[in-house]
Amino acid sequence: MIACLLIPAFALRAPLLRRPELAGRPVALAPAPGELPLLGSCTGAAERAGIRPGMRLSEALATYPGLELVEQDPAGAEEEWERLLRRLEEAGFAVEPVEAGCVYFETRGVERLAGGLGDALRRALDAVGPEWGARVGAASRRFAALAAATVAPAGRALVIDDGETRLFLEPLPLDLLPLTPERREELSELGVKRLGELARLPGTAVADRLGADGAEAWRLAQGEGDAAVAPRRPPAELAETLAFPEPVANELTLARALAALVERLLARPERAGRAPRQLALSARLVGGGSWRRSLTLREPTAEPDRLRLALAPKLAELPAPTAELRLELGELTESVGTQAELVRPRGSRLRERLREGLRQVRAAAGMDAVCTVVEVAPWSRIPESRAILVPRDD
Amino acid sequence: MVAHPRVESHSRSARRLNEPRPALVACEGGVPATVDRVRVAALREEWRVVDRWWTEEPVRRRYFEVVLETGRNVVVFLDELGGRWFRQSA
Repeated sequence: MIACLLIPAFALRAPLLRRPELAGRPVALAPAPGELPLLGSCTGAAERAGIRPGMRLSEALATYPGLELVEQDPAGAEEEWERLLRRLEEAGFAVEPVEAGCVYFETRGVERLAGGLGDALRRALDAVGPEWGARVGAASRRFAALAAATVAPAGRALVIDDGETRLFLEPLPLDLLPLTPERREELSELGVKRLGELARLPGTAVADRLGADGAEAWRLAQGEGDAAVAPRRPPAELAETLAFPEPVANELTLARALAALVERLLARPERAGRAPRQLALSARLVGGGSWRRSLTLREPTAEPDRLRLALAPKLAELPAPTAELRLELGELTESVGTQAELVRPRGSRLRERLREGLRQVRAAAGMDAVCTVVEVAPWSRIPESRAILVPRDD
Repeated sequence: MVAHPRVESHSRSARRLNEPRPALVACEGGVPATVDRVRVAALREEWRVVDRWWTEEPVRRRYFEVVLETGRNVVVFLDELGGRWFRQSA
């Protein structure tokens, strides 16, 4: 079975957990600095007061002047999400996170350990903890698992048997489908508002009218779709934080702080001589918001000057004075050194560059991004049966 | 934060090359007139593939190689069993 664990409005829940005094009150996520003044997610109490996610800030305050706004905190939310993923991994689940608040995992491996499917799902909910209001859906397909998770009450699991998938999906709204708002609107104008109504239409007619997106949505509404989970590799990372006594906007001070962070991280014994390939720079902004930028290096390096050079331009993108600066090193790899040889074997430089290129592609696009084409039935009249792509390990 | 102590095994699997992708095809007189809303300028070739009829997953396709108005060469086929159009490199 594939399970989907969902924490609705994660970006709002994460900062709210740090402010328990706002529990039960009408609260919404404030617009991000420098972006359109539109509200993010909002609490149930805010919705009952007439507030809706995506509403203009001025309209929301006119509707309910007592609305509390919480600053967006993408760095904090990402940190919390990573903590939850690790708790799930420690409970034995190989997870595939889709976005903050939504993660898939295969239950088969843990079912025997936990004593059944229900107990495995309970184990996942326990790993996350009750404070997040997480819910789990399980089914044989990813989409059905996601749909089940959206319907399940907080802290509970809902399992959909294979034979019941279509019946279960039928009354659910189209919002679950990966369609653009325009496409959803188009379907709504045609009187199609539920998954069952879409599933009953002829597939060819849907594909003709809505194109490839529509054909995919139709397949999902039929209870078909992807049935595989690609678990992530848990990131090995080091992080250092520097808190300023008072908010800093001066570029020179920030550059010095960055240099100090680089030095402190490179001196950490856990690094064990390994060089980072991925860097993430985040900041806690004055007023409570946060900011985060990630980058992948062309080649892993532990040279402080090169790390500073790569990161310094990002500092100019900080939207507000900074109360705290944080640097994370990820994808730590063993350095093989670049000692020159007197006479290099023919083609060795090319092979080395090729290997390095492949490593970069994997770091940026995932382990399955580099494959070998293996011919399995080159004589076949069916083009897709002639060859397969096999992920490379070198 | 310290390095994660557990080494996670990454499940990876092989996948097919050149899988058919759904295409939006409008026909005139049984041959494609537009492919993904781009007009067909010329029909270069047409052939049929009938295979695996002895299995539970038979294949019955009518392939068309066409040149679009944009100058692109495209191969599309009609899955005669499912009634749907796909794009594929033949």
